[in-house]
Amino acid sequence: MSTETPDDEPLYANRSDWKDIEPLEQYEDINPLAPIFYTEEYKDATSYFRAIVKSGEKSPRVLDLTESIIRQNPAHYSAWQYRYETLLALLPSTDVASSPILEAEVRLMDELAVLFLKTYQVWHHRRLLVSLTRQPKRELDFIKKGLEADAKNYHTWSYRQWLLGSFAGRGASVTDGVEDVDEDLWIGELDFVDSMLAQDVRNNSAWHHRFFVVWGCGVRDGDEDRERVLKRELIYAKQNISLAPSNPSAWNYIRGILSQTHTPFSVVADFALPYAHSRGAYHTKEIVDLENPPPTETAQLPCVQAMEFMADVWENEGGEEKTEQAVKMWTSLANEHDTIRKKYWEHRIRVAHLALRGQKKVA
Amino acid sequence: MRPVVILSNRLVQLFFVSHLTLHHHHSGFSNDPSGEMAPTPSPVDGFPTLTSRSQAETEQVLLKHLPEPGAKDEPILQKTSHMQFLVRNLVQGFPARYISQDASQPWLMFWTVQAFSVLQVALDPANKQRIIDKVMAWQHPGGGFGGGPGQAAHLLPTYAAVCTLAIVGRPGPRGGWDQIDREQMYKFFLSLKQKDGSFLVAHHSEVDVRGIYCLLTVATLLDLLTPELVEGTAAFIASCQTYEGGFASSSLPSYSLAGPILPSPAPRPPLGEAHGGYTFCALASWVLLQSYIVQSREKPTIDLKNLLRWLVHMQGTEVELGGFKGRTNKLVDGCYSWWCGGAFGLLEALGVGGLQNAESDEVPIDTGFGKVKALQEYILYAGQHQLEACATNLPIGTKLTHRNADASIVAQHHVFPSNVRKHQLLEAWQPSKCDTPLTNLTMTHTEVMAAHFYGQQIPARVRQTGSTNGNA
Repeated sequence: MSTETPDDEPLYANRSDWKDIEPLEQYEDINPLAPIFYTEEYKDATSYFRAIVKSGEKSPRVLDLTESIIRQNPAHYSAWQYRYETLLALLPSTDVASSPILEAEVRLMDELAVLFLKTYQVWHHRRLLVSLTRQPKRELDFIKKGLEADAKNYHTWSYRQWLLGSFAGRGASVTDGVEDVDEDLWIGELDFVDSMLAQDVRNNSAWHHRFFVVWGCGVRDGDEDRERVLKRELIYAKQNISLAPSNPSAWNYIRGILSQTHTPFSVVADFALPYAHSRGAYHTKEIVDLENPPPTETAQLPCVQAMEFMADVWENEGGEEKTEQAVKMWTSLANEHDTIRKKYWEHRIRVAHLALRGQKKVA
Repeated sequence: MRPVVILSNRLVQLFFVSHLTLHHHHSGFSNDPSGEMAPTPSPVDGFPTLTSRSQAETEQVLLKHLPEPGAKDEPILQKTSHMQFLVRNLVQGFPARYISQDASQPWLMFWTVQAFSVLQVALDPANKQRIIDKVMAWQHPGGGFGGGPGQAAHLLPTYAAVCTLAIVGRPGPRGGWDQIDREQMYKFFLSLKQKDGSFLVAHHSEVDVRGIYCLLTVATLLDLLTPELVEGTAAFIASCQTYEGGFASSSLPSYSLAGPILPSPAPRPPLGEAHGGYTFCALASWVLLQSYIVQSREKPTIDLKNLLRWLVHMQGTEVELGGFKGRTNKLVDGCYSWWCGGAFGLLEALGVGGLQNAESDEVPIDTGFGKVKALQEYILYAGQHQLEACATNLPIGTKLTHRNADASIVAQHHVFPSNVRKHQLLEAWQPSKCDTPLTNLTMTHTEVMAAHFYGQQIPARVRQTGSTNGNA
């Protein structure tokens, strides 16, 4: 498995160990529109690849060829697919997990992932490999490093969630009827999320991961008291909001966990209210309430997310007075504080008025 | 182009009429009550992080594309320069850095011909034939299309190839349509199906809702939808909705690594956060599956209210020129004008917003939730230039995708059920099993191709005189 770049290697057309193969042109009989101006190396490698696919050969030299293509075009999904099929063909029938071929493949992937972080295929290939190696812990470490370079990489985060769900969740692997759960994989996961949010409290991928860990994939050891967990999570979110109130990620998290647990939004109303007003318009308490941290000196008020939240609180409470409070808030959003969403806020007003009319009819 | 939405059920049903209008840009920019021309930057609360720094940099770049105060010229779609770009790609070809798109040749072709379509420029028969011939070289003997000749079949290039044929192809010899191997394609689709209702995008490849959208669109156009094919798929899509309201790429499989289905209730959390591209694909798939959902035993549901909330919040503020972002706390980008902006049209098909919100007497005659004027301004001012902030870290092909998406959105329209059209079509329709498409194709291209594959005659559409909703 060569680590040299394609530039250092002779073309496949000039290699003696490939002279038994007749390369296949891409477009044989037609003169296609919109051609791509390939490099000589790429044209050469892919012409040999087409020939190999046609013959169905699954040998070690195919690993060389597909690696060459992948380095030149990491999005060449057919090369990845064929490489995986070749690996499967070359692996022993027993004790697959400790095969040196597999180990070498994992090391190669460690190198390539750094180069091609944003490519689907590089991450998916890791998923295929870990399904064979059954070594998720090392993957968690790898993912952590990946996120240091690219804190919001979609493939990386979703791979982490898949890994935890598949090896450590209730939906864990079942081999020969025996569940292969490793709940220890969850240990340190909340700390990991904390560290990512400490780096950037606005990292929505991290907030989403927190939701997955706490609420989305079964119950963690020690978290069986769900009321306590909710309280803990609400305080966590509130503290982060007090640091930077206009952070939709934190507000979406609060809304999400309240909905998930069927808890009314009003439970957080006392906290949200000061954030929904301009500084000085709302008298804050003298005593610091650790469970309801107020806005800091540098917070820009009113906070649009808090205004929206309070309107939702009042709308849910219902009745004429509360509905009109909500309408006032939406009007303020529509005309002054969140004008880009004017039509949406007007929609909310219409819906609330309709509901009120409906309530009156029933009454 | 705009999304064409057609609801369906077992018996032949609704067709939507697309109300194609090119919105003229109106002068004036933001409704800034203070009267200042510079819009307010996003708040940082005295607590900067990488996200807020990146956001502030982007806002600086976008500000440069604001019109000068007092400028009278309206932004215009630079049709000529877009055409030159497209023609150059088609005739001269793509430079070596497009090697990264070698497995996406159908996409390069689709974006190009679709953009021609949006710009209302026709291709001559000889070039159409060359395109057809190239597309057919991508068909895989095992069914479906690959990213190039000899490449493995894959759901995404299959969509792009079939949609390209919808635009340039025709029935009969060498026309492309009748050379599509439908039987093999159906077998290919089934071979990708997973126990949880999802589909791999290709053998040994990833599961995600993009693939499902591509499969459903193609299956609908080519009359390949069956209950067997889509069993469990709607439930899978529903499982991809996150707490934020948008959709993720996929959900945790409810079958184990070794294969067997896990005992219920196995959690199926979404994998990855709510994302504009995946949300469009999930929502479009949901619309395409309506007839099956309505008739299914389990009747999966999605949270439309929360989805709407998330979608409207994906629109950037005035300082972001009203463009759309793809995820919470990320940057606006032209392509999301299509994925998120386009999703509003899909929501209307499901009865959320737009002219269907007509129970209330407070409904203005309007064009829906997304602030379309602002969105058009974003695209025309910022999207037509090299936008540094969104160009970084993006693959090369993105520029063509973005151009295509932006052009589609400028030709904004609204989609709603037209009873007149429905009546016309019901009268003309011969009963048969069928479902109908939701595509990124013109109504004409969709109807004509679907008519061919369903063996139907579509009646001519009678043009109404005068506009129905006041927009020029």
